[in-house]
Amino acid sequence: MTSKKADTVARAATPMPNSSKKAIPAIVILAIITLVGIGAWVYQLANGLAVTGMNNGTSWGLYITCFMFFVGLSAGGLIVASSAAVFGVRQYKQVAKPAVLLSTVCIIAAAAFVLIDLGGVQRVFNLILHPNLTSPLMWDVLVIAIYLIINIVYLVLMGRRSNVASDRALAITSRLALPVAILVHSVTAWIFGLQIAKVGWHSAILAPLFVTSALDSGLALLLIVLVVLNATKLFATSKKLLSSLAGLLAVCIAVDAFMVGCEILTMAYPSAPEEAAVLTLLFTGSSAPLFWGEIVLGLAVPFLLLVFSRLRESVGVIVVASALVVVGVFLKRAWLLLTSFVTFNVAGAPGVAYGRSGLDGTDIWSLIGTYAPTWVEVTVTLGVIALAALIYVLLAPRLFAGEDGHLELASAGAPAFATPLEPALPSADASTAAALGTAAKTT
Amino acid sequence: MTRLAIVINQDRCIGCQTCANACKMENNVPMGMLWNRVITVGSDVIDGAVGTYPNLTREYLPMACQHCDNPACQAVCPVGATYTDEAGRVLINYDICIGCRICMAACPYNARVFNWEEPVRDPDFNYGHKDVPVRPRGVTEKCTLCKERTDEDREPMCVTCCPTKARSFGDLDNPSSAVSALIREKSAYQLLPERGTSPKTRYFK
Ligand code: SF4
Ligand code: SF4
Repeated sequence: MTSKKADTVARAATPMPNSSKKAIPAIVILAIITLVGIGAWVYQLANGLAVTGMNNGTSWGLYITCFMFFVGLSAGGLIVASSAAVFGVRQYKQVAKPAVLLSTVCIIAAAAFVLIDLGGVQRVFNLILHPNLTSPLMWDVLVIAIYLIINIVYLVLMGRRSNVASDRALAITSRLALPVAILVHSVTAWIFGLQIAKVGWHSAILAPLFVTSALDSGLALLLIVLVVLNATKLFATSKKLLSSLAGLLAVCIAVDAFMVGCEILTMAYPSAPEEAAVLTLLFTGSSAPLFWGEIVLGLAVPFLLLVFSRLRESVGVIVVASALVVVGVFLKRAWLLLTSFVTFNVAGAPGVAYGRSGLDGTDIWSLIGTYAPTWVEVTVTLGVIALAALIYVLLAPRLFAGEDGHLELASAGAPAFATPLEPALPSADASTAAALGTAAKTT
Repeated sequence: MTRLAIVINQDRCIGCQTCANACKMENNVPMGMLWNRVITVGSDVIDGAVGTYPNLTREYLPMACQHCDNPACQAVCPVGATYTDEAGRVLINYDICIGCRICMAACPYNARVFNWEEPVRDPDFNYGHKDVPVRPRGVTEKCTLCKERTDEDREPMCVTCCPTKARSFGDLDNPSSAVSALIREKSAYQLLPERGTSPKTRYFK
C-alpha cells in the first residue's frame, strides 16, 4: 500500500502523466471550442447585448438559464463529498477529489455566465464599490465567492499528504462546505423566488426546489464524470459505489418530482387567472416542450431506470439515466425562467417596446414576451462549457492521476470500507479500472 | 418630505399617444424603446375595443414608471444604481448601473427598458432637455418624472403636452396639492396594489 501511494504521488507530479496523453485530442477540441466561444463573446462585447435574443419583454435568457443550471451542477459534487465527511459516509468519501473538482469548474462556469450576461461588465467593480445588501444578486455574488474559495481550499487540502493537521483542516472545510453549498443554491433561487412581480417565480418552495434540482443534476453529472474517468483510467470507482450513488440519485429525482408537483398543484388549485396563464403556457403553450420534456425525460424515465437495483447495476443504464437527469434539469431551468416573462402583468396593445432600432413601425412592439437564443448566445455558452471541461481535463491528472478511491482510502489509514469490489478482480487499481472501463463500453 | 407624483384621469384620456411622444422627445429616448406608452387595456390592437358587439368597452391606460413608494427595482439592484431621491422620484445612476437587469425582472409594470445596443437616434443627434444625461449602451433607463424639468419647478413634459388635461402633477405630501385633492375626492387607485410596490402614480375614472 505504501509503495502504491508513493507511485501515485510520483505520477501526479509528472507534468504529463501517461494517461493524459490520450486526452490530447480532447484537450485540443475543447480548446478550439473555448476559443470560438471567446471570439463570440468579444463580438458581443463589441456590439452589445443586441446580438442576443433578449429584449425588454424577456430580459433574461440562455445565459441566466445556464447560470442557474451550473450553480446547480456544482452542488452534487460538493454536497456528496462534504456530507460524506460530515456524516461519516465513508464510501462516498472516496470520490471526493473528482467530485470537488467538478464542483469547482461548474461554479466557475456559473460565475462566467453572470459576467457574460452583464450589459456593463466594465463597471462590474461597482459590486465592490457600491454593494447594496438588500439585493439577492449581491447575496449571490458574496456566497458564490465564498463557495469558490471553499472549493479551492478543499481541493488543495485533499491534495496534501494526509497528517493530523491537514485531516483536521479538511474536516473543518467539509463542515463549512455543506451549509455553504446549500446556501448557494438557495440564494440563486431567491434571485427569482423573491420577485413578487412574477407569479411563476414568487414561491417559498423555490429554494428547496433549487437545492433538490441541484442535487439530482449535480449527482447525475458526477456519475457521468466518474464513468468517463473510469474508462480513461484516470480514477477508478467501484461498480458498487456507482450503483449506490445511482440509488441516491433515484431518491433525489423522486424528491424533485414531489416538489414540482407541490408547486404546480398549489398554483393550479385556486384557478386564479394569473397562475392559470402561467400553467397554460407550461401545459400546452410555448413552454410545454420544456415542461413535459423535464417531466418525462428528466424525472419519469430516469427514475424508472434507477429505482430497480438490478438495472442500476449496469453502468450503461446509469449513464443514460444521468444524462437524462442533466438534460431534464436544464429544461426545468429554462421553463422556470422563461415562462414568467411571457405574460405582462399589465397587458394590452401596443405591449412592451422590444428595444431595438431598425424595426419598422409597430414591429418595435410585442404583446407578449418572446425569446429565442441567437447563434452568439449558443456559441458563447458552448465556449463556457468547453472551458469548464478543459479545466477539468487539465487538472484531473494532476489531482488524482490513476488513483483508486478504494486503495487511497485504505492507505490513508482509514479502515477499508468494503470487501474487495468484485471477487473476480485482483485488487490492483489499474486492472479494476480497465475492467470497469470495459464494462462501461460493453453495457 | 416631498413625494412627486402624476395622477391620471382615464376618462379624459383619448389614447392619442401625445404623452408617449412628448416623453420620448424630451428625454432623448433612443429608437426602439419608450419610457411612456398608452396601453389599450386587454386589447391586441391599439384603440381596439373589448367585449362582444354591441356591448363594447375601451379603456386607455398610460403606463410609465409608477415611482413606487416601495420600489421592487430599487431593493434588488445589487449596486444601488436605482435609488429614491429627496423628491420621491425613483431614479437610476447610469454611471453605476452594471446592466444586470434584475430590476427589469423585479418591476411588476414592465416600466424599464434596456440599452441593448449603442443608442440609435433619429435624427442622429441628441434631442430634448439639454441636461438630460445621455445613457450609454448596457444600462437600464425609465421615466424620471422629467427630473430636469421638475427640478426647475415645471411639470413633466407628458403633463404639459396632454391635449385633454388628463394628467395632473404635484406633491402627494402636500394635502392641498391638486394631486392630493384628486386622490381624496376621486378615490384614485394604484395599479397592481397586490404587488405591494405602492405606486405614487394614481389613476381614476
Ligand atoms: S414602476 Fe417599476 S421601475 Fe418604477 S419604481 Fe415601481 S418597480 Fe421601479
Ligand atoms: S440593471 Fe442597473 S439599475 Fe437595474 S438592477 Fe442592475 S445595476 Fe441596478
